[in-house]
Amino acid sequence: MGTMHERRGRYAAYTTRLVDGVLTQPGHTPPELRRAVLARASGAPREDVPPALAAYVDKVARHAYKVTDEDLGRLQQAGHSDDALFEVTVSAALGAALGRLERGLAALRGESSPPVALSASSSPPVPLSATRRGGTRD
Amino acid sequence: MRLRAVEHRHRLPERLKLALIRVVSGRRVPDVVKTLLYRPEFFGRAMCEWTQAVMRGPSAWSVGERELFAAFTSRLNQCVF
Repeated sequence: MGTMHERRGRYAAYTTRLVDGVLTQPGHTPPELRRAVLARASGAPREDVPPALAAYVDKVARHAYKVTDEDLGRLQQAGHSDDALFEVTVSAALGAALGRLERGLAALRGESSPPVALSASSSPPVPLSATRRGGTRD
Repeated sequence: MRLRAVEHRHRLPERLKLALIRVVSGRRVPDVVKTLLYRPEFFGRAMCEWTQAVMRGPSAWSVGERELFAAFTSRLNQCVF
């Protein structure tokens, strides 16, 4: 997570505090899971989110308005507590927001192939065309 | 609210805040506020500080312009507020 500590700009400290809280506070999910969820939602090709959660994480990240009672019900029946789902949801939403922020700032800098926010350094950048989802055109 | 814990199981200080908001506003407390006040040390407190800095802190953009950006973005996300 090198990029987290290299943030620049006026709001860097606020963003770092926000991300650190979600990733390091004691909770009902392992910090490694939250880290993987946040990275996946930011656009990194992460395969270490359990499949049952991955679909939900992707939904929250790409079009949260499509989440249904059934989505949450299925996960609750699979044994995920409300607190665990709260943490996963927040991690996914935060990751998605940071991914969009980074891509937007990269576009303003005129970079054609922006780095993926918060991804492991070994992950290749995700092309814009593959990540430009969400909004009203889904 | 789909997670009952985030709807109902706030700790006492946050529950008091929610009650106060309900009484003063005379309305149901918005879900986003309930979310921010649920285990605030995990997310809500830092999120509020971030929002305050971005939306009300020093900036070349006026507060109204920033609110317009936020409203437009929420509209695109189909999350109207």
